[in-house]
Amino acid sequence: MSAPMIEFDRVSKIYQSGGGPVNALHDVSLSIAAGEFIALIGPSGCGKSTLMRLVGDLEQPSAGGLRVRGKTAHQARLDRDYGIVFQSPVLYEWRSIRKNVELPLEIMGQPGPQRHARASELLRLVGLSDFGDAYPHQLSGGMQQRAAIARALSFEPAILLMDEPFGALDEITRERMQLELLSIWDGGPQRTTVIFVTHSIPEAVFLADRVVVMSPRPGRVERLVTVDLPRPRSFETREDPRFFALVTEVREGLREH
Amino acid sequence: MAEKPLPSLQRITPAAPASATPGASLRAAVRRSLPVAGVIVTLLIAWEASKLAFGISDQRLPHLGAIIEVMFTRTQGGTGNILLAQMLLNAWSTFQVALGGFLLGGMLGFGLAVLFMQLPMLERGLMPYVIGSQTVPILAIAPMVVVGLGRMGAPSWAAKITVAAYLTFFPVTIGMLRGLRAASPMSLDLMRSYAASPAQIFWRLRLPNSLPYLFTSLKVAASASVIGAIVAELPAGAREGVGMMILNAAQSYNSRPPALYVAILAASLVGVTFYGMVALAERLIVGSQRTNGG
Ligand SMILES: Nc1ncnc2c1ncn2[C@@H]1O[C@H](COP(=O)(O)OP(=O)(O)OP(=O)(O)O)[C@@H](O)[C@H]1O
Ligand SMILES: [Mg+2]
Repeated sequence: MSAPMIEFDRVSKIYQSGGGPVNALHDVSLSIAAGEFIALIGPSGCGKSTLMRLVGDLEQPSAGGLRVRGKTAHQARLDRDYGIVFQSPVLYEWRSIRKNVELPLEIMGQPGPQRHARASELLRLVGLSDFGDAYPHQLSGGMQQRAAIARALSFEPAILLMDEPFGALDEITRERMQLELLSIWDGGPQRTTVIFVTHSIPEAVFLADRVVVMSPRPGRVERLVTVDLPRPRSFETREDPRFFALVTEVREGLREH
Repeated sequence: MAEKPLPSLQRITPAAPASATPGASLRAAVRRSLPVAGVIVTLLIAWEASKLAFGISDQRLPHLGAIIEVMFTRTQGGTGNILLAQMLLNAWSTFQVALGGFLLGGMLGFGLAVLFMQLPMLERGLMPYVIGSQTVPILAIAPMVVVGLGRMGAPSWAAKITVAAYLTFFPVTIGMLRGLRAASPMSLDLMRSYAASPAQIFWRLRLPNSLPYLFTSLKVAASASVIGAIVAELPAGAREGVGMMILNAAQSYNSRPPALYVAILAASLVGVTFYGMVALAERLIVGSQRTNGG
């Protein structure tokens, strides 16, 4: 087996806050392979966002080792190895949708015409071709989130970190976005490694190769559920008896602690 | 940005609204200015009505007609212009000083804000003095500046602009500093995830994000710089300007009350024009792109 894309080795994270130290993660060990789709699920406050932010070098571990593509998380960030999608779209409101998608490319110094072409391609991919010149406030929540995904994909990062990206969407839009995301992930020449945080058990099972079930604070890896459903996944996947069995398995993992 | 709830799905708006027809935009402009016109008419009616009701003498409150009449009489001075023309010339003179002070103070305020944002240590050291500077009455500062700069051989307009700038830089520093710090943690995290340089974070996030704050403070600064320009004319012994007009009219108030009202009108003319220009610039630069502006 090749070297893991992301490797947590007994990682702990303690936040120092006004009300004393907060034990967010405790002794997390987890190895994620290249091209793997990982769903992260657990009760609120168990450290899912923290785990993701550690990979992104937006927080630093208090103890333990973390390697991203064989490097420190800091180096991986400097190498622009990951793209991130937050729970809210975080679009810059003074930029058009197209300019928002181009933002990382601009920062990475890509020349204008190339940027423009890439943005057009991505806007088509997420179904926002007609909205390149619109401003964020003119788009619905779901459309804004798609723009945020396009922005994260624009520079073709090896890793995609997604923190409850569909959390604010209604069920129907959400299921459509899940399919869109999978087709983007499946479509390229090389699969991106994805860490996808969610509160929804069916969503986790539907999307992932493996579901990481976390325990309440301090967050630990409670259970790893391998999802052996065939790909490409479709609407029928949700009616597969195996799908229900896996949903039950994850639910049980969430219940025991 | 990050804290805002997601707009509901029903808000799937089409692309930017098509530009309105000229007739419609004129109508919109009329509708917008209607409240203002209403207030002015009400005030004018109240003016004359209170004279009538309480028997206020012309000495204490002249008739509106008398004020208008004074505007069209020739002044006793050398030019022989009617007072209205004189008033506009004076307003223009003060406007120029205010604009100079506004630009100078605006740049100073902006520079200080950027400096304070980058170096919090400097902010802690200097901010007390910046705040302290504004507690000294401008009436005390103005003569010092005028005399001081005059001794150094600077022209009087330079002193006047300096006084106007003195009142201008403060609101800009405070507003701009607040604006530069207003970037949400997540919008900053996003920049970090791209390994953006501090300069890129400044130009692409902090500065554009601060523009609404900047314009709010510039509107305050616009009025402040007009006050500064007027006050600076007094010790400068200016021969033109709204300050000089107010001073002269106040001295001859007993013999000619309406002249003071004309001078006050000149002052508000400068202030309103200036404010309007800043508001227009804000609409053009910020307006079309933001939820709150368009
Ligand atoms: N910057 C911080 N300072 C102090 N405590 C923090 C900070 N960030 C997170 N925490 C705490 O760490 C714990 C884990 O937070 P985290 O955001 O990772 O949880 P989560 O699993 O993402 O929760 P949710 O599902 O509600 O998003 C929580 O108890 C939270 O209060
Ligand atoms: Mg979270």
